[in-house]
Amino acid sequence: MSLDTQAILWSLFFGAIFGALITAYVYGRHQRSIITGAGVGAVVGALSGQILMLPLRHCTFAYDPEVVAEAGTRFTPEFLFGIGVVLISSLILLAPVWVWVSQGGRLFNPEVGRTERFGRSPLPYLFLLPTLIILVFFLYWPMIRVVLMSLETSFLGLNARFVCVDNYLRLMNDSRYIHSFTVTFGITIAIVIIGMSIALFISVLASQKIRGANIYRTLLIWPYALSPVIAGLIFLMMFNPQVGIVNQVLYTLFGIRPRWFSDAALAPWVIILTSIWNNLGFNVLFYIAGLQSVPDELLEAAAIDGANAIQRFFRITFPLLSPYTFFLLITNVTYAFYGIFGAVDTLTQGGPRGATSVLIYQLYEDAFEYTNKTGSAAAQSLILFLLVAGLTIIQFRYVERRVTYGE
Amino acid sequence: MLSRSKLVGLLLVVALVIPFAVTTAQDDTIEIVFSHAFGDENRQQLVADVIAAYEAEHPNVQVTAISNPSYRDTLNGAILAAQQGNAPHIVQVFEVGTQLALDSGIFIPVSSVTDAEQLADLDDVIAPVRNYYTVGDDIWSLPWNSSNPILYYNRDIFEAAGLDPDNPPSTYNEVLATCDVLMEQADALGLQGCIGWNMHSWFVEQWVAEQGALLANNNNGRTARATDVMLDSGAMMNIFNWWKELADNGYYIYTGALEDWNGSDALFTGQQVAMHITSTADLVNINEAAVEAGFQMDTGLLPIPDSAERHGVVVGGASIWLTADHPQEELEAAVDFMIFLGNTQNSVNWHKGTGYFPIRYSSIDQLEAEGWFDQNPFFRTAFDQLTNTVEGYATSGALLGNFLEVRTIIEEAAQSVIDSGVDPLEALTEADARADESLAAYNEAVMGE
Repeated sequence: MSLDTQAILWSLFFGAIFGALITAYVYGRHQRSIITGAGVGAVVGALSGQILMLPLRHCTFAYDPEVVAEAGTRFTPEFLFGIGVVLISSLILLAPVWVWVSQGGRLFNPEVGRTERFGRSPLPYLFLLPTLIILVFFLYWPMIRVVLMSLETSFLGLNARFVCVDNYLRLMNDSRYIHSFTVTFGITIAIVIIGMSIALFISVLASQKIRGANIYRTLLIWPYALSPVIAGLIFLMMFNPQVGIVNQVLYTLFGIRPRWFSDAALAPWVIILTSIWNNLGFNVLFYIAGLQSVPDELLEAAAIDGANAIQRFFRITFPLLSPYTFFLLITNVTYAFYGIFGAVDTLTQGGPRGATSVLIYQLYEDAFEYTNKTGSAAAQSLILFLLVAGLTIIQFRYVERRVTYGE
Repeated sequence: MLSRSKLVGLLLVVALVIPFAVTTAQDDTIEIVFSHAFGDENRQQLVADVIAAYEAEHPNVQVTAISNPSYRDTLNGAILAAQQGNAPHIVQVFEVGTQLALDSGIFIPVSSVTDAEQLADLDDVIAPVRNYYTVGDDIWSLPWNSSNPILYYNRDIFEAAGLDPDNPPSTYNEVLATCDVLMEQADALGLQGCIGWNMHSWFVEQWVAEQGALLANNNNGRTARATDVMLDSGAMMNIFNWWKELADNGYYIYTGALEDWNGSDALFTGQQVAMHITSTADLVNINEAAVEAGFQMDTGLLPIPDSAERHGVVVGGASIWLTADHPQEELEAAVDFMIFLGNTQNSVNWHKGTGYFPIRYSSIDQLEAEGWFDQNPFFRTAFDQLTNTVEGYATSGALLGNFLEVRTIIEEAAQSVIDSGVDPLEALTEADARADESLAAYNEAVMGE
């Protein structure tokens, strides 16, 4: 493929504009020259934009008369997608610049991680080397491969063919994939809110000073010892519409036999229930630990001041638990996005009609069940990664502000 | 300290190198690797017995069997190994993977290695089975484990309902009529439904073939690569309309999960339904469960649409393939072993040990002579059904590279009709469009631009 000068210029242009604008703003906020900021930002943004544009071979900006004629505008979906990629790519080098400026000309906070033990010796890096090698070969290199794979179509890993961002654009127009997003968010919200509420409620009960409390606490953690697949199998048997215990009870009591796995309104709830049950032990474990760290004096003082049990819980205990809640929020969201796979695979295989087809399950199907969709699966795994990473960053930025850490 | 780290390093090197050193040791024996998908002890033992017998006859050949967790892993593993120049000689591939195996380019036709005598011997393989694995004029693979679907029914319930237990329904309308009788007395008989089979595309494929219809264009992809999956055909409509009628009347039930073989067997053996449709490969297990549950079961032909002439069934199961790029002597030894694995006696043993049917006419003759069918009358249905199959493109089965995805599409269409009340025509029209799109993407990926 010959180098397309026009395409390269486009990518440099968008990286430079974006870098110049934001960096100028950041410089201005920190009482530095806006002009310098714009200049530095333009250069860094343009360069950084190339980090993702090079493996893409600038293909999104390539001028294809047919595609342009069909779209009726130079700003084809590919072109717009390309702008997005340039912006993300330019952040890779721009973000450190912004941090550098906002920390008064230092990239790393000198207070953190400074020890005099090694001085300027390269020894620490040598010690880190084995870990780095493992990370490079088993984490970073596969990650790079996934990026490259997402730009190809192949058949059983053969016949690999560069297709630019087609895999991504196809996903965006794929109603099943969009539906999968809705399903994933719905199930995640249910798992996180219901699961954590139940866990907190049970933990409060289990923390009461009663006889045998230790035994209850231990028993409550047990479900976590089971893998999601085993939990799925247990629920599969319990909820079997014809022979499962749940329907036997329901039939005896109410004369109904809900079709748990084939009814699109019920199937997601079976998945949610399984995941909540499976994850309960983990949540309870942390909440019990948290409850034990709430100082009795505070509660006593409040009681003397006339606060009732509910007020004490919501005004004292719950705020003091916030670091635990925050930690569990992140782990539960991650579980709902990734760990749910085992339950979906054993219980519903994404059905009925995609009602439980969460992103991670759809990805697995395309990657390992079918032979010619590895490119699409790679694109999906990158989208999922960005999604979870984005959610975690948002949680750290906006939720953590409300967290009260102890001493 | 240095010496210790050196020692550890040395140990590591030794630990890494020794296995290679051992495996690369060469002598005169011909080593054949056989990769299959059977993980259960029973079948692995049967394979080991065949290998032991073969090695006793051919002391210069050593056969190593590798067991994989699934059909899909077996094929994927073989393709990966082939890319590294280290493919197992013999690979078991499931029937719907046939086009995939062809497209992978790592296999060669068995008939390109066989000599005239061996080729003549293969005429003994039951025609519909052989046809499935013959593409163009080449026999690409040899059948090993083959099965087809039959009707299972509960004789006791039939008798209690006043139905003739020697005369099971064999057409769609007869099934409906039988169900009318059974479900009128559902409470007395303790039935939750009349008939259950697992929601699997395999049965749909069989019913298409029984009607002599095609699943894909270009004669099921047998005369040229298929480019159109025909899921909105009249044959498909017959199947889905009947299925919907059964479900709407509360006659058809299933566990709610797709491809739930064990769950639907449990419905039948738990006597929640009076009739069941599943593979002959489960005959031994289901009969044992029926005996344990204290009822008598029997088998009948797969029920078909009333308007259709019985064309017979498509062979299910798997076959064994030969990979390319091995020295000629290894290829010859591998083919010799493949034929041995499916010879008359081994085929009989395999049938008795698993329930898959024997793949040779001579094996059936031998079983007849032994009086096997008199002792095990259920097995006869499957053979009748198979040996009476009309040869043709319909019953040879479709060659589709994206068959696995097509299966999912068919199953989701069925689920939408049975559970969500979608109109069959609407469901099949949508399924047809999805399947065609998927096939186009597959073909494009295989053939490049």
